[in-house]
Amino acid sequence: MDTSASTQLAALVRRAQKGDEDAQRELIVSYQHRVAGFVYAMTGRGDYVEDLAQQVFIKMIRAIDRLQAPAQFESWLFRLARNTCIDQLRRQKLGRIFLPFGAEHENIPEPPGAVDSEELDALRHALDQLRPQDRALLALVQEGRSHAEIADILSTSVAAVKARLHRAREHLREHYQSP
Amino acid sequence: MKPEDRAWQSLQKRASAHLRGNFADHVLKAARGPDARTWAQLEAAGAARLRPGFAERVLRAARKIPGLPSLFNQFAFSAATVAVCVLAVAGIHAVQVRLESDRNLAGWQQLVDDVQDFEQYL
Repeated sequence: MDTSASTQLAALVRRAQKGDEDAQRELIVSYQHRVAGFVYAMTGRGDYVEDLAQQVFIKMIRAIDRLQAPAQFESWLFRLARNTCIDQLRRQKLGRIFLPFGAEHENIPEPPGAVDSEELDALRHALDQLRPQDRALLALVQEGRSHAEIADILSTSVAAVKARLHRAREHLREHYQSP
Repeated sequence: MKPEDRAWQSLQKRASAHLRGNFADHVLKAARGPDARTWAQLEAAGAARLRPGFAERVLRAARKIPGLPSLFNQFAFSAATVAVCVLAVAGIHAVQVRLESDRNLAGWQQLVDDVQDFEQYL
């Protein structure tokens, strides 16, 4: 993001922090596609996208006044998105323990190739084989987050991020079977 | 050609017959991993799941949900709960002590009366 774009974003975030609904709407519209893509990469479920993206943006509206550095908005938003998706996946896992038969209904795979290309199906399949933490890491990189930002989001060191990213990429390649 | 070379060739042919036509592409793609275009497709596929009017729905939902209590309010609520509990425990304890004292005094009074009756009898 260039300097003028980041200055504009910071100004928009400050307006949203003051409760300006137009600014909040503009933020949602600007980021809804990227957040939806991130949620899809994390969960692999199209039917979760709208619900989880909505949760992410509701959290954003409610907590934006506590964001100290408006310039860090993007990292902060994707941290919210990551945590929301991981919470959802944990709830799903717990649900499978307590309602074992529910899993059959929960994990109905989406019909492959219904609207997706073969590469996309392969990517979705490969992501599905990874741990949610690794999926988040790869999706954050695709979102353009730097190693330092990811380290901040995951509360870890840059070196740890690099090592984990290397492993996650290896695993993704192992499972990525493009026809 | 020696018989063993012919055998190697036929082994290679048979093995390569098991490979699919676009084997090289397949290997290269798998080795490189998904490219930026595929990731962009994933993002687009996720974004396509949002129904029109998403931003309005989020704003409406955010308005409906009551605000989370502030840290101070949570602390004040906890302190008030603790105070009520302490007062309730202290009150119940005081009542129990008073009832127990009354019972003990009544017992002693009975004893005194019995001793006085016994002294008069003597």
